[in-house]
Amino acid sequence: MKLRSKIIFSFIFALVGFMIAIQFQSNQKPEERDTRDLWEIRTELQEQQKIQQQLYSRITELDEMIQQYEGQSQSEKVATLKQSIVELRKKAGLTEVEGNGINIKVKPIFQDLDSSQSYPTISPALLQRLINELNTYGATDIAIGNERITNISPIRDVNGYTYINNHPIPPLPVDIKVLTQSPKRLLDYMQVSQSKDEFAIENLELSITVEENMTLPKYEQMPRLNHLKVDENTETGES
Amino acid sequence: MWLPVLFLIVGVLLGLLTDIRVPEEYANYLSIAVLAAFDTLLGGLRAHLEEKFDQKVFVTGFFFNVTLAAFLAFLGVQLGIDLYLAAVFAFGVRLFQNIALIRRYLIDRGRIKKNKEKNQRK
Repeated sequence: MKLRSKIIFSFIFALVGFMIAIQFQSNQKPEERDTRDLWEIRTELQEQQKIQQQLYSRITELDEMIQQYEGQSQSEKVATLKQSIVELRKKAGLTEVEGNGINIKVKPIFQDLDSSQSYPTISPALLQRLINELNTYGATDIAIGNERITNISPIRDVNGYTYINNHPIPPLPVDIKVLTQSPKRLLDYMQVSQSKDEFAIENLELSITVEENMTLPKYEQMPRLNHLKVDENTETGES
Repeated sequence: MWLPVLFLIVGVLLGLLTDIRVPEEYANYLSIAVLAAFDTLLGGLRAHLEEKFDQKVFVTGFFFNVTLAAFLAFLGVQLGIDLYLAAVFAFGVRLFQNIALIRRYLIDRGRIKKNKEKNQRK
């Protein structure tokens, strides 16, 4: 090869090397750095410890239940089983529950406007946001009107009407009953919550009061358990 | 042969040191261009081993292939077809062919050398 060809060859080699390096660098994602300071890490740690505590107490509860199941007499076993069924039904929202909590009354706001104003309704999106917020702030059980909200309750828009549990919600005003361990705290949270503003935009007002001994209705329909299967491999009831 | 390798290393180092990054939407173009460049390089190497190396063909081939590949990728994006795959396929096949030919040539050359040594000993 002549010297000139060699130089050109080398030059193009260098160009290719350059291109490869750039391509390599472009594909390398910059690593994410942890920019939390000491206090943020501490609060995170505290939160995680709290979760750990909760999990531990849950484990002890379940251990106790196992011990009860393994109890001596047959009648004891049956009693424990019945008790767990009651508890599970309560958890699934299939029983009426009583307790302290807050009552949120959703009322329409009417303004003095010259133009005609339509009667406001609650949209599913608003309800979902409200329920999310309530759950975040420690609600244990929620009922909207006469409909109990369970983990599988659908909230949908059907031809412009809002349906909960496949039933339309009654016209305004509607009561939303929320049970919680600390009603006062939930009330304080809700007084300054985002939901209040969002409802106000839709001409709806939330008036929130603390109530004692509220009764929440039970979930009326059969819960659909499409994803549960009977385990036929293991024999049960014999030991 | 050491000069091109040296230049390749210099190019890589230069690229790494300058810390240039291509925006993500253009990464496709660059990757296809790199592939085309590889193809041309190996083609040139093969031609050199076969003693058919033409400087003009090599240089124009390099720039033309790179541009064509990038253009194909661009056209593909505009039309919503993954046209760059065509380039990847074509260049991929040629890469393999070139590498195979280079390998064979080197093996042949090694054999001839050995035979010569044997004859000399005799």
